[in-house]
Order: sequence, then structure tokens, then C-alpha cells
Amino acid sequence: MADAPTPVMFAIVTTKREAVSGGMAPIFIAEDDQERERIAMWLSRITNAIVHDLHNGTLILTVNQS
Amino acid sequence: MSSSAPIDWTPMIVGFTAGFLSRLISLKSGRTHYPGYPSGYISQLALAVIAAMIGSSILTSLLGKEFTAATFLTLAATQFRDVRNTERKTLEQEEQLILVSRGAGYIEGIAITYEARNYLAMLVALLGSALTLIGGLVVGIIGSVIVLAIAEIFMSGKHVGDLIDVQPAKISFDKGTLLYAGDVMMMEVGLPHSRERYEKEGLAVVLTPKNERGQAVLWNASQRQAITYEAASAVGAQKDIGYPEQSPLCRMEMPAGTGKAGLSILPVDHNMSKLIQAIKNTPVLESDKWSKMTSPVINRKEM
Repeated sequence: MADAPTPVMFAIVTTKREAVSGGMAPIFIAEDDQERERIAMWLSRITNAIVHDLHNGTLILTVNQS
Repeated sequence: MSSSAPIDWTPMIVGFTAGFLSRLISLKSGRTHYPGYPSGYISQLALAVIAAMIGSSILTSLLGKEFTAATFLTLAATQFRDVRNTERKTLEQEEQLILVSRGAGYIEGIAITYEARNYLAMLVALLGSALTLIGGLVVGIIGSVIVLAIAEIFMSGKHVGDLIDVQPAKISFDKGTLLYAGDVMMMEVGLPHSRERYEKEGLAVVLTPKNERGQAVLWNASQRQAITYEAASAVGAQKDIGYPEQSPLCRMEMPAGTGKAGLSILPVDHNMSKLIQAIKNTPVLESDKWSKMTSPVINRKEM
């Protein structure tokens, strides 16, 4: 359906390396929360991806496939 | 072939005026932000002239035993089928250029309306000329006005405000990142910068259906996209490429499924009454055909 977006995992930004493994998206490891937000923001602005917080130290970026 | 009797122009003139007026009225009352430019109006007016012309001259040509002319007029009438395709193509092209899209349902609705309006102009012109032929000038004019009024009443569809109650709501964040419009969860905003933006400048409304029909309307995703588009074009949306989380959204209250919907927007013009008015004036799309069977129960208990 045209109006419903289909999100695709684009990137993972995390401060907890052990919480993430494998998969199709590149993983960016940040030193602290501030660094994590900064990386996520930059990736989002550059690639038009949407940032979601998983509340376990990990942010995921998704893009809507059209 | 030359007709011996002098041609009576009155029915044609009355019918033409009535048909043209019917198209003019609907062009003015359109709330779809389309056509937006004088050039768009010109092409619509040109089509209106042709439609009114066809409708008003067909009886006269039949009475003058000009069957060739009458056949050609019906042929010309079929050309109006292309209007829908043209409108749809234009709007679909535009869809890729605008940041808050209309949605496929809304585009289809606009395209169908434009096509139908031309046929309506033709019908009104035909009726106007017929009435003048039967009853003379005065009856023709009065009859045309009545036909025009009836056509306007029947052709103007419902608006969202007729079926759905729109109330202002508060923007809040639950669990740190979940954006809520009133009680309705909208989306997950991961960036602190955008969350601050929403808390400071965001506007939200909750849409509550007044009846089953209203609920069926809200469950249609295309309809909600149309509402979002109208809201964004009324108060603006702070959004650009690269800022997807600042898109205005209209979502149902899920997973409770109460039939209520929320709308969140980062407006340029922080004006709640303007926003509510725009939502209420959004046309109800033709694509959400209502059937009682598929409509969720209005008084469903929360799970």
C-alpha cells in the first residue's frame, strides 16, 4: 500500500558493543551517550534515515523504502 | 444541408451560461489547493466552455435535424474521459516534489471530482437548454438556477468535520522517546534535539469519530494522509529533506483500537484554531466506501 511505509534497517549506533551482533546494517560504536546522539543525528541528516531509541544503549536508523 | 427555419439561439445561450456557471462555482469552492496557478484555472475554464457548449448545443442541433453535428458532439463528450488521467498524472508528479504528500486516495478523489464536474456542467447545460426550449426564456432561467442549486447540493461531498470531532491535545513524551498526541501514541523520536523541538513548538489534536461512518473514515490510511496534508498546508510543517522525524503524522490509537486518532505536527504558524479548521474542512474521500460490516464497533472496550 502506497501510504504505509516499509522501514528497512539502515544503521545501528550503540554504546554497548555486546548488545548488538551481526545483521545487514553497519554498527557504529560510540564512547558515550553524547557521542552516540551526535553520530545518530549526523547519519540521520545525511541519509534521511529515522532514528529510534531501543532504550538499551542502542539507537537504530531506518529508512523508508518506497 | 441548410435549415430553412431561423435558428433559435436562446436555449443555447441559457444552457451554456448555466453549464459554465456550474463549473465556475465548483472551481471556486474547491478546497484541494488545486489548481493553484492561473494557468491551471485557464485550462479548467477552457474545458468548462467546451463542456457547456456540448451540453447546450446538442438539443438545438437535433431539432435542426443536424444529426452529424449531434454525433460529433457526443464524440467530443467522450474526450472528457482523459481529464481524470491528466489530473492524476499532474498530481502524481507533484507528489514527488512536495514534502507532505497528498496520498494516492486523495489524488484519485481529486481526479474523479474534476472529471465529474465537467460532465455535470454538460448535464446542467443540457437541462437548461431543454427547459428553455419547452417553457421559454423565463422558465429556462428559473429552471437553470434550480438545477444549479440541486447539482451543487448533491455534488458537494461531506467534510471530515461533519463526521469527526477534532479537539486540541497535548504533546508529551512517554518512556523518554515515545511521542504522544493526547492519549494516542504517534511514533518513536530517537533524537533529543527533535524531541525538544516537539515539546516547545509542536501542536497535536485528537480526532474522535462522532458515529460509525466517522470511524470508518478514520481507519482509512489514505484519508488520514489527506488530513495530514490539509493540516500541513494550513499551518505549515517544519520539515526538510533529512528531517524525517519532523513529518506531521496522523495515526490511530493503537493497540487499544478505540477508533480515535491523533495528529502531531511541527507547525510554522503556531495556530491551533487554524489547524482544527483545516482538518474539519478536509473532504471525505470517495475511496472509503462505508459498509457496516467492516466498520469496527464504535463502543469497543479497551483490551
